[in-house]
Amino acid sequence: MAPSKKLLQYKQPEKSYDVVIIGGGLHGLATAYNLARYHGVKRIAVLERRYIGYGGSGRNTEMVRSNKRAHETLPFYKESLEMWDDLSAELEWNLMVQKKGIIALAHSDPELAAMRMMSDSQRRAGIKIEMLSPAEIKKKVPSIDISDKPALPIFGAQFHPEGGTVHHDAAVWGYAQGASRHGVDICVGVEVTGINIDAGKVTGVETNVGSIAAGKVHVAVGGYSSEIGRMIGMRFPVETYAMQVMTTDVMKPFLDYYVASPRLHFYTQQTLKGDLILGGPLDHWQSWNSYATWEESADRASRIVEYFPDLAHARVVRSWSGICDCTGDSAPIMGGCGIDGLSLDIAWGYYGFKSTPACGKYSAEYIVTDRMPDKIKHFGLDRFFTRQLVREVIL
Amino acid sequence: MAFLINCPNCGRRNPYEFKFGSECKQAPEQGADMKAWCDYLFFHDNMPGFQDEWWYHTLGCGDWVKIKRNLATDEIIEE
Repeated sequence: MAPSKKLLQYKQPEKSYDVVIIGGGLHGLATAYNLARYHGVKRIAVLERRYIGYGGSGRNTEMVRSNKRAHETLPFYKESLEMWDDLSAELEWNLMVQKKGIIALAHSDPELAAMRMMSDSQRRAGIKIEMLSPAEIKKKVPSIDISDKPALPIFGAQFHPEGGTVHHDAAVWGYAQGASRHGVDICVGVEVTGINIDAGKVTGVETNVGSIAAGKVHVAVGGYSSEIGRMIGMRFPVETYAMQVMTTDVMKPFLDYYVASPRLHFYTQQTLKGDLILGGPLDHWQSWNSYATWEESADRASRIVEYFPDLAHARVVRSWSGICDCTGDSAPIMGGCGIDGLSLDIAWGYYGFKSTPACGKYSAEYIVTDRMPDKIKHFGLDRFFTRQLVREVIL
Repeated sequence: MAFLINCPNCGRRNPYEFKFGSECKQAPEQGADMKAWCDYLFFHDNMPGFQDEWWYHTLGCGDWVKIKRNLATDEIIEE
């Protein structure tokens, strides 16, 4: 057997850093990578209390896309989607980027009209979007039922050819290695218990292994931002919801596209391995508890089987959930929060995974320049007081 | 399901019968400034721990029910 090489070396945190990033998920690692690689920041630590990729980074449905609505967010998601293309080469790690195309089904004429309107905003932002008739859908996905049999038959669809999937664990390892190679200290098992602030300026963090001084602290904690809020005496405009995902047993390849229904809130894709990943809506109540319920699985299964009758024999082999911090306008919170040196990258809700590359880039830019880059200027926390909410839709 | 909600009219029922109505909050006084209203509308305590919250019994009696639930464990304290 060939000698195995360690992928990366975890470090014990030192006493002081230029930048401390709280959260060893994709956003934290991507930000660390960008800081080290493109901004020449030398002393960076990523502090993770469990293991890297524990939260949303390893629990999402691997979908990457930019078929959103708000003109404030479209250029950002577009750039992020494009950045995945070259990332494997840049990180020297195969992220298994597969832009297979996303078919979003419509089940009524008004819904189709709304989709056309949305497609126009997307085209204006330079995103490739086509509308499909039921016959064209059937041609792409032969196993789908376009007849009148389902309670809500298929009226048409929006096709987003550049959308697709990226392997989420590969992305975590890719970014972790990339960051580590550029001198970032990745420290696991280090839990931040407090943030030290002196005269309106952040001076470091308290952890379970002692205090660490830091010039800047960046918060990239996924579904746990309210805990950080409590440490600095703030509340954030977020509520935490769990989202459940399940997978079936392995089948021979039959589904070449990502198929979603914004109305019925289900989406599915067949992975390279052959199992189906079934995603759905957020749980119906606020919770920090990640469980998978029978009701939610049954609901999802019944919807899928209505449009893919051949799947009636499929078995669900695994289900899990991850927690998401959701804002009222389904747009994230980035940038400062009124404390010098403390920057936020939170409240991504549904959309954290797909936005990772751009988010890493712009978070790093914000940390270095202290100025909100143009592409994320609408994501500031102050929008909740100036009432300039982003007109985004949940889908 | 992990927990049951005790509806005063219908007894202990599955939470999927209810619509979640979020945290119980105190609305600002009349004449409060816009900052207070924004805070009331958009900002939440959202901590893992006990929270007073509203649930609407959609598939039951159609009443609003107030419960105390732990967001981290889904444990409910019945008073």
